Amino acid sequence: MADRNTMLKQINETSFLLDDMKLYLDTHPLDENAMEQFSDYQAKRKQLLKEYAEQFEPLACDCICLESNGSDKTQTQYPNKRHWTWSDGPIPWDLEANACAAVKGGR
Amino acid sequence: MWTYEKRLQFPVHITKTCPKTASLIISQFGGPDGELAASMRYLSQRYSMPFKEVGGLLTDIGTEELAHLEMICAIIFQLTKNLTAEQAKTAGFDAYYIDHTTALWPTAAAGVPFNACEFQSKGDAITDLTEDLAAEQKARTTYDNLIRVIDDPDVLAPLRFLRQREVVHFQRFGEALEKIKDDLDSKNYYYFNPEFDKQFVKA
Repeated sequence: MADRNTMLKQINETSFLLDDMKLYLDTHPLDENAMEQFSDYQAKRKQLLKEYAEQFEPLACDCICLESNGSDKTQTQYPNKRHWTWSDGPIPWDLEANACAAVKGGR
Repeated sequence: MWTYEKRLQFPVHITKTCPKTASLIISQFGGPDGELAASMRYLSQRYSMPFKEVGGLLTDIGTEELAHLEMICAIIFQLTKNLTAEQAKTAGFDAYYIDHTTALWPTAAAGVPFNACEFQSKGDAITDLTEDLAAEQKARTTYDNLIRVIDDPDVLAPLRFLRQREVVHFQRFGEALEKIKDDLDSKNYYYFNPEFDKQFVKA
């Protein structure tokens, strides 16, 4: 099981690649290599967001899972209790939510 | 419509309080070439854009600018989060502190409040995209100026990321402008305004 910051770093990097490729494909809509790369990373991001929501908390609305409120119980006010998990986790602009900045190495 | 993702596009992790730095970086929130102006400019321009691919690009870049706005606000928030009353007297931040404490309020570094004139939505595809190209370069220059006077590596990392994005957006807007010119009368693309004189636009 990956640690929270390592996983968030992977999500940030994969998502950024897609953000950049999206703009590139907006002006190069027939680039086969770019489309293939986009598709690979799109699947990877989907999987990462799902795993992160299961272990920690949801980062996107589509990943909200009320049944699994995460194996990491430190970031919720309601451990071991069915609850609205969207409010779990640190607030995105806080230091704590950005500790992944210190994780070294690429993907 | 939009949805929110509970993370920053690039992490902002600043441990050292510095109201002076915050008072400079706030220009990229509410200044003339800041992220708020950029986002609202592109999201306002897109409605009358006669080429749907370019309207789509304006949406996608305008959306990314919202994520940049959030990063800039996170930088300012973290730089002032543990501010003491003594530090609030820092020249450049003192006047802002009196009016807004440490809340986020859009203003230029020189103290001019955010102005909707920065949206620059003109209703002519060539005019608007040329504006957007300049806007990206003006934002890039502002980041260059900030990077030159700031030392804290934790602040520089997200600023360098944001500067790079201005360069990429400039490239994409340039490609969009070329595409529009190709779709218009190649001998004189000023012959008509494709956003208004719709009968001339090729299907």
